[in-house]
Amino acid sequence: MGLAQTGIAAMAALSVLLTLWAVWRDIPPVWRFDMPQKLAMTQGAPRAKTVFDYRVEQGQAHSPAIVMRDTGFELWWFEGSQEAQPDVDIHHAAFRRSPDGWQEISRGPRITRSALGAAMDPRQLVVTLGNTVENDTRAAGGFVTVVSVGGWAMASVADVSLDQTGPVEARKLNLSPFLNRSHLVKSPMVDFADGSHGLPAYFELGAAHGVLVRFDAQGRVRDTARMAGKNKPIQPMIVPLDAAQAVAFLRDFEPSGRLLVSRTTDGGRTWSPVVPTDLPNPSAPVAALNLGNGRILMAANDDPDGSDRLSLLASDDGGQSWRVLQVVEENGAGARYPMLRALPGGGLILTYSMGNKTGLRVRLLHGDWATA
Amino acid sequence: MSGLGASVALALLLAWVIFALAGLFLSPPIAVALGAVVGVAAVVLARDTLGVSGLIAVLAPFGVMLPALAARHMAGSLGADIPGFSSVEIAVFLLVYVVFLSTAFGVIPVDLYRYGYAPWPVGALVLAVCAYAWLTGNWFLAGVAVLGQVFWMLGWGSSNWLDHVLHVFLVPVAAVVLLLRLI
Repeated sequence: MGLAQTGIAAMAALSVLLTLWAVWRDIPPVWRFDMPQKLAMTQGAPRAKTVFDYRVEQGQAHSPAIVMRDTGFELWWFEGSQEAQPDVDIHHAAFRRSPDGWQEISRGPRITRSALGAAMDPRQLVVTLGNTVENDTRAAGGFVTVVSVGGWAMASVADVSLDQTGPVEARKLNLSPFLNRSHLVKSPMVDFADGSHGLPAYFELGAAHGVLVRFDAQGRVRDTARMAGKNKPIQPMIVPLDAAQAVAFLRDFEPSGRLLVSRTTDGGRTWSPVVPTDLPNPSAPVAALNLGNGRILMAANDDPDGSDRLSLLASDDGGQSWRVLQVVEENGAGARYPMLRALPGGGLILTYSMGNKTGLRVRLLHGDWATA
Repeated sequence: MSGLGASVALALLLAWVIFALAGLFLSPPIAVALGAVVGVAAVVLARDTLGVSGLIAVLAPFGVMLPALAARHMAGSLGADIPGFSSVEIAVFLLVYVVFLSTAFGVIPVDLYRYGYAPWPVGALVLAVCAYAWLTGNWFLAGVAVLGQVFWMLGWGSSNWLDHVLHVFLVPVAAVVLLLRLI
């Protein structure tokens, strides 16, 4: 055995030790959903109250995300002259509950492109920002869709830690071997039984697909599970049904006029091939929540003849069939990109963009939507 | 350390580009020196500029293989004896790598990239590379695989080991090398 072979054998031995160390310290993801308690509803008939109605005088404001806080909630959205332009930043409005109801207590830029680029080590160029969701694993964190070159298909997802002034630390998630490109986010995280959280994301290049991202204790990507099939499934909205089962509703990026669906029976480790549902959908993302007792509430653009009627729908059979509970916005309102989250003390928050990306609206859903 | 690693990797790649261009007119030692000066100067003095932050944003994670190939090429020009790859090896790598990228795009409905996050598959892949390297005597290849595993374990750079030993820019690099050998 020559010197080279001896050296290679030594490296192989080192690799074996490294592998044993890696296996010893590794905590594999637990593939069991954490089912929340039945969501608290407030008394009375279902009703919606608008608490925030925001319009930009110029440009666009789009894709609002709800960020839960101890004292209330925040709304994050992207705003600029036009989507994907190099002047788009993440803005916010914060809301706090007072004896008189919900009050807006602050508003303004929250994550700017320059601050986000500077928070990365080493600094990275950030050209524009897009869909953002809360990072449920940290008190002040979010996942931001970041574009450094090209359009949305060349986006990456950045894990961002914030303080009052803005981003303090940021790193891109490692999700793709293609220059770490073409992943975006839209929907809130999913809770798992081990206390961790999964991030629904999606790959937009080529044969698009949804992805459920799992993390290790350091917040680095530890595993991913795809939701793929015919059509171009993106923007998965995952609704756990029990510890093992969940349903993911996906937008068809290749407009078929139908909402797409994929299911898991092993806690999200694998997903069934994505197939169309019977629910009309004009290539638009949906928001959904499991209210308990088998009831799923969904906010969706559901008009087969229109593009932006936004309705609240209910399913009592795990998303197999739906009925409209309430039309929230009629066609012509330009209502898109809904997000739904539960308020800890009872009630639900529904937000969406209005006027074809020129404004935002927040509605608080009171009353018993679980039995409506 | 991820930040330092990215800066070192970019410095090596910039040095390689300058070395390759300057090598058309200058002797190898001078071309390497010039490349080193430009590479280090860029990441130290111009790290906050649009150009450098843009290159980092576009190319990161760099991994080990691409900068290692750059360093190997420059060191080889100075007389260092570092094993390389045959044309057959490069052609097979190119084919396999393109298939792998196709799986990432969903063209082939298998998710191979997923295995790069988990310890057992990574351990098996590194050992397989080491075994091939042992058979061919290519300690450079084994070194890249194991160094990538070290960085992956330490949390420097990507959380996926495959990013440490592969990079999309290996496709044009491999194609150019094959082309030059055909000419």
